[in-house]
Amino acid sequence: MGCAFDLSLWQRSFVTGWPENATAEDAALVKAAQAGDRPAFEALYRRHARMVHGLLLARVAAADADDLVQEVFLQAWRRLDSLRDPAAFAGWVLTLARRRAVDHYRRGVQTAELPEEILSEDSPRAEAAAALAAIRALPEAYRETLILRLVEGMTGPEIAARTNLTPASVRVNLHRGMKLLREALGGSKARE
Amino acid sequence: MSDDYLWDGSGEPDPEIERLENRLARYRHDQAPPEFPERAKRREWLVRWRLIPSLAAAALALVVMGVWLGRRPSKEPGPPAKSAAWSVASLAGSPSVAGRKIRAAVRLAVGDRLETDAASSAIVNVSSVGQLEVEPNTELRLLETREGAHRIALDRGVIHAMIWAPPGEFLVSTPSALAVDLGCAYTLKVDDRGAGVIRVTFGWVGFKLGRRESFIPEGAVCATRPGVGPGTPHFEDSSKTFSQALERLDFGSGNHAANSTDLKTVLAEARPRDALTLWHLLTRVEGGERILVYRRLAAYVPPPAGVTEEGVLSGDPHMLDAWWDKLGYGEMSWWRRWERTWTEPANSAAGSSAPPLTLAPLTLPPVRASF
Repeated sequence: MGCAFDLSLWQRSFVTGWPENATAEDAALVKAAQAGDRPAFEALYRRHARMVHGLLLARVAAADADDLVQEVFLQAWRRLDSLRDPAAFAGWVLTLARRRAVDHYRRGVQTAELPEEILSEDSPRAEAAAALAAIRALPEAYRETLILRLVEGMTGPEIAARTNLTPASVRVNLHRGMKLLREALGGSKARE
Repeated sequence: MSDDYLWDGSGEPDPEIERLENRLARYRHDQAPPEFPERAKRREWLVRWRLIPSLAAAALALVVMGVWLGRRPSKEPGPPAKSAAWSVASLAGSPSVAGRKIRAAVRLAVGDRLETDAASSAIVNVSSVGQLEVEPNTELRLLETREGAHRIALDRGVIHAMIWAPPGEFLVSTPSALAVDLGCAYTLKVDDRGAGVIRVTFGWVGFKLGRRESFIPEGAVCATRPGVGPGTPHFEDSSKTFSQALERLDFGSGNHAANSTDLKTVLAEARPRDALTLWHLLTRVEGGERILVYRRLAAYVPPPAGVTEEGVLSGDPHMLDAWWDKLGYGEMSWWRRWERTWTEPANSAAGSSAPPLTLAPLTLPPVRASF
């Protein structure tokens, strides 16, 4: 049952909605990795780890996110032969990451964040912890977009290209999310 | 101040955003790849043989594309490089969209019907949230697509779905059940009578008709019949005796004596892994038989705190949900939350003339990322 996806690059980019060269490069790397080429898979890791990390950081403790990124890619490496469409790697690995975050919660192994009150109040670290906590309290779409922009250092156009959201949607998420974040941080300062 | 700096780092820097970037950079990902263990390499001859049909198909596609491009009027716009719309491309033969045979990729609009004949198959881009591979002799229709909600009707045939949208956003209506993606990859088959079967290869799927619900995790299969709805899911590696008895329970004559015999067979054959099936049976058998199922399930997966025999036997939905959560396939609260956002038509067994699903009005959501 099932056919191999033998599309031309032109068709492929149209069907997947990904930039043509990124999709083709991913597909070539996946095929090489499926044949056992570890450096090819390491290249996939470098291309997608920031996105995976951003997705996880929006859902789990910062101390756990790095470990989970590694676990997601190790799982992807083990299951790579089950990926029938090499060009779909980006969406596939993000699906693995989302499920890994859910499993993480289900197993109840979250690492407690360092409480803000034991951090020096005006230290950069405390400020970062407070900002991250405020972002993670936002609705999911704002949270993910802001983390990709402010933490992972991606630009709006890059986020749009990598998530397949329209640039307008990403811009709206950034704008609304940032407004809510300013209010949240302003509110917490006002309470101090 | 404009938000150009927030958007792409251009324009006048916003001091508050700059400060946040500096502070939050400590969380940025900068880890080297882990040590990936050695994989067994495919034999080179096998790889080369596998490549031959791919290369031939690619060369053929390029030739066809070249001819098509050469004949195309120069003013006709090319396909968008990046599109959030649904699109269809042929994998083999000439599938048809809205009654027209296609050879190149085309858009699939709401209301369009995609058909493959015995010699054709297709691949469908589900907006930006996934892909469907459509096998020969399949008919499907696009019912709705918008951010956060995508629905098709599969009237007959076979689709292989790989969806990376957040769970609950991709729905497939069949003549005998509604399939709700909960983050997964699966194969769904519907025959000419409207009967269906779903096989889940990753994640899990909710299958529903009226109040009859089935939840199918990775490695499991579930059948559905018009007028009955989804049957009881079971793992594909369960014994033939087990799966056949289960099928008779779900879709058999309904004769009490026969059902009783089949239930005993199911209970006798059930392994700990078949807790999945036993949990579903709790609400599908009654009286003394429900007690038997309860005890068998409790022996494999003890009910969690707060879940009592009395409550389960009386069908307490909260207790059943809590017990499901303990099976470890996914949180039932996810399903319950999404279930509130859509409803089915009163009679789903209406085939191609079935009215579209009615989506309940949603509160204004943020624009969701399609991870």
